[in-house]
Amino acid sequence: MSSWKSLLLRIGDKSPEYGSITDFKDHIETCFGVLRREIEHSADDVLPFLLQCAEQLPHKIPFYGSVVGLLNLENEDFVRKLVDNTQTNFQDALDSGNCERIRILMRFLTAMMCSKVLQPGSLVVVFETLLSSAATIVDEEKGNPSWQARGDFYVTCILSCLPWGGAELVEQVPEEIERVMAGLEAYLSIRKHVSDTGLSFFEDYDEFGKGLAEKDFLEDMWDRIQTLSSSGWKLDSVPRPHLSFEAQLVSGRSHELGPISCPEQPDLPLAVDGITYGKQKHNAELKYPQRIRRLNIFPASKNEDMQPIDRFIVEEYLLDVLLFFNGCRKECAAYMVSLPVPFRYEYLMAETIFSQLLLLPQPPFKPIYYTLVIMDLCKALPGAFPAVVAGAVRALFEKIADLDMECRTRFILWFSHHLSNFQFIWPWEEWAYVLGLPKWAPQRVFVQEVLDREVRLSYWDKVKQSIENAPALEELLPPKGSPNFKYSVEDGRERSEQHVLSAELSNKVKGRQTARELIIWVEESVFPIHGLEGTLEVVVQTLLDIGSKSFTHLITVLERYGQVISKICPDHDKQVMLIEEVSLYWKNNAQMTAITIDRMMGYRLISNLAIVRWVFSPANIDQFHISDRPWEILRNAISKTYNRICDLRREITSLKKGVVLAEEAAAKAKADLQAAESKLTLMGGEPVLGDNPARMNRLKSQSEKAEKEELSASESLEAKEALFARALGENEALFLSLYKNFSNVLMERLPDASRAGTLRGLKSIHVDEMTIDLGEPSAMELDDENGKPKIQTNGESASNVYNIGEKEQWCLSTLGYVKSFSRQYASEIWPHIEKLDAEVLTEDVHPLFRKAVYSGLLRPTIN
Amino acid sequence: MASLFKDQVKLSAYRDRRFPGSQEEFEHALLTSITVYVGNMSFYTTEEQIYELFSRAGEIKKLIMGLDKNTKTPCGFCFVLYYSRDDAEDAVKYISGTILDDRPIRVDFDWGFQDGRQWGRGRSGGQVRDEYRTDYDPGRGGYGKLVQKELEAQRPLVDYGTGSLNSFGPLMPPPQYGRHGRNHGHGGSQRHGRDYHRKRNRNDDRYTHENSKRTSDHESRRNSDPESRPEKNPRFRESGDSDEEEDDDRKQRS
Repeated sequence: MSSWKSLLLRIGDKSPEYGSITDFKDHIETCFGVLRREIEHSADDVLPFLLQCAEQLPHKIPFYGSVVGLLNLENEDFVRKLVDNTQTNFQDALDSGNCERIRILMRFLTAMMCSKVLQPGSLVVVFETLLSSAATIVDEEKGNPSWQARGDFYVTCILSCLPWGGAELVEQVPEEIERVMAGLEAYLSIRKHVSDTGLSFFEDYDEFGKGLAEKDFLEDMWDRIQTLSSSGWKLDSVPRPHLSFEAQLVSGRSHELGPISCPEQPDLPLAVDGITYGKQKHNAELKYPQRIRRLNIFPASKNEDMQPIDRFIVEEYLLDVLLFFNGCRKECAAYMVSLPVPFRYEYLMAETIFSQLLLLPQPPFKPIYYTLVIMDLCKALPGAFPAVVAGAVRALFEKIADLDMECRTRFILWFSHHLSNFQFIWPWEEWAYVLGLPKWAPQRVFVQEVLDREVRLSYWDKVKQSIENAPALEELLPPKGSPNFKYSVEDGRERSEQHVLSAELSNKVKGRQTARELIIWVEESVFPIHGLEGTLEVVVQTLLDIGSKSFTHLITVLERYGQVISKICPDHDKQVMLIEEVSLYWKNNAQMTAITIDRMMGYRLISNLAIVRWVFSPANIDQFHISDRPWEILRNAISKTYNRICDLRREITSLKKGVVLAEEAAAKAKADLQAAESKLTLMGGEPVLGDNPARMNRLKSQSEKAEKEELSASESLEAKEALFARALGENEALFLSLYKNFSNVLMERLPDASRAGTLRGLKSIHVDEMTIDLGEPSAMELDDENGKPKIQTNGESASNVYNIGEKEQWCLSTLGYVKSFSRQYASEIWPHIEKLDAEVLTEDVHPLFRKAVYSGLLRPTIN
Repeated sequence: MASLFKDQVKLSAYRDRRFPGSQEEFEHALLTSITVYVGNMSFYTTEEQIYELFSRAGEIKKLIMGLDKNTKTPCGFCFVLYYSRDDAEDAVKYISGTILDDRPIRVDFDWGFQDGRQWGRGRSGGQVRDEYRTDYDPGRGGYGKLVQKELEAQRPLVDYGTGSLNSFGPLMPPPQYGRHGRNHGHGGSQRHGRDYHRKRNRNDDRYTHENSKRTSDHESRRNSDPESRPEKNPRFRESGDSDEEEDDDRKQRS
């Protein structure tokens, strides 16, 4: 990397590039000095790189702004071009709805305004353009309020610029900025309050009070900006390097920004019905997602050194580092821990990362990315961060009963993975009390599931060893995981007819008989004697046992003898029996049960519908609130179906491109051929029609080949589209079946709507029936991590005594999963919503079930 | 993202000498591959552990354990195949350098699995890196194969075949490869090392050779006819290369 590039990249960092220079002002001058010379001969390299730095290292934008300001004094043309390019990129980003780019380029424009590169009036015009677009969107007459997500996003972008340039704007264009503020206020008054409880981390049981009173993201942001405004736009978390150069910068000539335009929102449908509105809203929210949801798991005192706006700024920095340094472990951790702010922020950092890990419906990256970041930060700040992480774990654990089911699953996966990287060390004795809770208590289930995942990542004895400070927890460890083979001959039990049969089958497999031979054997010598059930049992148990040694053994058996199984289990009924047999064989091993079912679905031995049916069989239903096993299997089945659909979509897109290319190639080849055919060539002195024969032949064969390719491309596209149509149909059937099953089991178990019309009502049923026991007197215990006393009443926190009955917890858990599945696959469910409304969400459906579905789909309840 | 910092040039410092093509083809294969190579694993790590960890980066299509070509037991590497390129990329980005079974594992793009590549390429059957190691690594069969041989030669003949190499114990204290796991403030004492002779839950025939392999390497080499092994994993049929060519296994960690 040439040095001017590394100087740009490393500006503001403690790095070898700048050696002993620690003052940011000197960084800027050094960088400017080198760039100035570089631009003389390679301006075309510098410009795009500088812009790229600003876009991808947004926390350094104030420095880049100052460098550009200094350059502007020397080379107006270069900076003019830079402003133009910024504008082009900004317009592109607006047109394509590239949220990150819009937000960051606006910050860069603000920084350039601060260093006198851009006229303040131009920035105000940008603000007003966005504001007017936002206001139009939420206007019910002229706009389309279902697209409020975009309006909110634009307004958030405007507000986000103010910490970086509010002071300068107020100083230079006070009237304009007042007008903008008035416009923002007006927007906030006409937009609808966003109450997307379906996306909150914790189930809000207080649904009629808190939900409305709590400010949504934009309202909260507006408050923070107003506080900032009333404190004279002074803040600590944004560096203002341009102030050091003010004397020079004032002499610069500011440039203007050309006009920009915002894309039109889709028209409001003529027939305004709830469904179309809901679909549009869903699409808008997919395109303009809210970037962060605050988790608020630490007491406010942990962030007391900060002003309200600082929190927002630090979150911005952290999220940007997470976004742009994904895949660069070292830089990511280094930037996370060295933000340019004068206060400590490790609690806020933990809260922000956890809020991303748990973000609903999806975090920007896979949860495993945040797992890695947390590990790296624990290593980067060994004295501070692990304790903060432990504090976050405790806080989430305390509230686990209210934690959204999807978040809970991610929390379990993260925690087990995290511990596996830190020698499985955890003060389990703190949680030993969960053994005293009923087996459906969410805290107890949590511990049990974490231990299960730990065993999967490691091995039983190791995990057993890790809980030695709370040996009683062994009760919550999964069984040792060995198979449960019905025809095992080791223990010298008497050998039944089935034992003999199983051994015979085993020998045939060892003798490498083909699937065909086995099918004949089954049909001729097993089925007639033992019937369906007997046959299925022996064959499935034996084949599973042969494949039990490892994942690869399983695959090999299924690949070789899958047909034998599919011959026995051709329909749903028998596939359900097959799954049941799998779960019996692997009853001690949740992972192998899940893997086996997943692979069988992959080989189409069992359908997703059969899996749904099996999950909703009575034995599994009884597990819904005490184990993740059935849910994992259900999740796998849906996600596999979903993955296939996504693959098909991708393939179709690329095939379509291929068809266009093939068509073009064929047309060109044909045109070439025709041109050659109509060409007059001199043959033996005589002019004849057509090019020379060799070329003609070549062109002819090229043209034929191109035509063939065109045909085969369009044929494979057709084939894929047919597959896709089938997959869509299967998807519809899957979700219908899923929701029907959910609705039925909930209807049977939920108390009458008059007794439990709300979750709060449902939760309190058991309490009402119990005589309230306040428990033992609380014992004070010193929480060593935080050095603060923690109140414990026999381990249970006083605020959170668990007293929910089994039936109620079953309902709460199941409703939680209804919401979670609806939310996760909302994009796949919305296209089938009419059918769902007609067949499942009918009038007599339980209101709590309806509410769970609606809130998962973020579907407005008011038409 | 972060294209500014990613070192585009160094896709992989390791060049598989068995790759049948040019450097460009090799790089193209790496850039489009859905297969990752996993290295520095413990010999005891099971496919299910790998599955659990790697499925967190995406749906796994296939998993191929690297085996010692003489003993047909895991020798510390594997291939994981995903359905999508994105998932393979995420596995490289997010899993490489993290801990599996107390060891920092390495995850790299691989040009694609072919039959035969599951076998160790070292002269003694395992990976080349385990030939020359001089450290004592209990997760990978103790000392390197050459050192084991030397130690074996020093032993009085009487003992031959009866004792176990491990009974020597390490000459040096075992390395603290849990370098990621110093005190991290979760409290409690630092623990390292492990139950080296642990039994897996399920009795996998393949793994029952483990003991004999680790203890008397001589015997396994004298008796290295693969067909004479009682149980073989059906997936890993005897074919492909078993030539004794010394091949640099993988790039050394820098």
